Parts: sequence; C-alpha cells; structure tokens
Amino acid sequence: MVHALDEIRRVLVPNGILIDLRPTLDRWLIEVASARETRETGRMLDFPLGLADDEAANQSMSDAKQKGWLTREQEEFFPFFYSWDSPSELEEWIATEWHEFTGLDDKTKQATRSIWASADADARVRVKVKMLITRWRVAAQNLKAVSQS
Amino acid sequence: MTLQKDSERNETKHLHRFADFTEKRVLEIGCGEGRLTWQYAKETRVTFATDLDADALRVATIDRPADLESRVYFSLAKSEQLPFSKQTFDLAILAWSF
Repeated sequence: MVHALDEIRRVLVPNGILIDLRPTLDRWLIEVASARETRETGRMLDFPLGLADDEAANQSMSDAKQKGWLTREQEEFFPFFYSWDSPSELEEWIATEWHEFTGLDDKTKQATRSIWASADADARVRVKVKMLITRWRVAAQNLKAVSQS
Repeated sequence: MTLQKDSERNETKHLHRFADFTEKRVLEIGCGEGRLTWQYAKETRVTFATDLDADALRVATIDRPADLESRVYFSLAKSEQLPFSKQTFDLAILAWSF
C-alpha cells in the first residue's frame, strides 16, 4: 500500500490533496429502525482478517507521514448505514459480501429477527458502519523535489 | 434484495466538507461501480476513476449520466501503477472498498 501512496503522490500536483475514505471495524452496531423508533439489537463480530486490513491501512498512512510524503490536515469518523428490508437479507449479505472480515453470532441474529418481527411495518434492519475520512496534503518536501528537478 | 446505502447521505456531506471539487482535476482510486463518483463529479473539471474490477467499471460506464460523458472517465488500473503523468491531478480520493 505504501507503493500506492507513493504513486498517488507522483500524480498529484505539489500541495495537492488526498482524501482517504474507508470503513474501520469496531463491532458495528445493528439496529432495527422505523420512522417511529430505532432499537439496537447487537453488534457485529470483527474477524482477524478485517482487523489486520485496518491495521495495514493505518500503518501505510503512518509510514507515508513518517516519510514526509503527506501531512494530515483533518480527520473524522462518521456513520454510514447499510439497510435491508429484513434480517434474512442482512444475513445473506454478510454471508456473501462481508464474511471474510465480519460476522454475526446466533444470539444477535435471534435478537434482530425477534425485534424486527415485533417492530412497525416500515422497520428496516441496518448496520452502522464506522467510516474514517482524512484529508492529507502532499507535503512541502515534494515541492522541494519538484523545484530541484 | 433491497439494500440501501447511506440514505442519510453522511458520506456526501463529509466528502464535500473535506474537499472542494470545484473545477478540480480529480483521481478516484477504487471507484467500483461509481457510487461515490456520482456524488462529486459534476463539480470537477475532469474525473478519472480507476478500479481493478472490470465488471464494476463496465457498470459504472453504463450508468454514467450523459452530461458527464466528457468529464468522467473510467480506467482499469492498479493503484501501484497509475497510467497518468506526474502532477496530473489536484485531488485524489482513495476509496477503500469493502
């Protein structure tokens, strides 16, 4: 990934901006939400592969900063909701799309089904994904390199 | 399946708070089917969006609105080997897919 960051730095103008936008595992919250109310049903499980991916991404950005390629200007977490009509659709999505890095235990599956079954007709099942957004600026060191070339 | 992503539009709000896209030359890495691309591309001078998934890029190209045909381009490329000259872009988005 550090190679990719070096390549991105190459194609950016001096003083250019890099926006790093990605999900971070944090035992994402599962909710049943209708217009009237939102109820928490449990949390996702974080699997080692997903945690390792997060760590690798963080390390790559840290390495780029250490090398003086990029300067961090602003950073925030924000919620990004995935929602489905029913718990079975959520389970199907996890089994096909997210199974390598996150999962659901039986207790949470059961709680989600139960709460959804007794919720209002417009209730959807949703996962609150924790997103990280960071604005990086191509560091002044790159400006020097350009002016010397 | 009726999956909805970010119906609250939190991603769009944050993206625009963190970057000014007006008349910028933008590179998006990991664009997939272009879900994020459509949220900012109209404001840019030009957008090049790359991904490693040819099928996703095909969908993105088909979905591209007519008014963006001369402004948004998709390309199959590795992030470690971008097919662009140095200092081509004002802004890059690293969209980590999941």
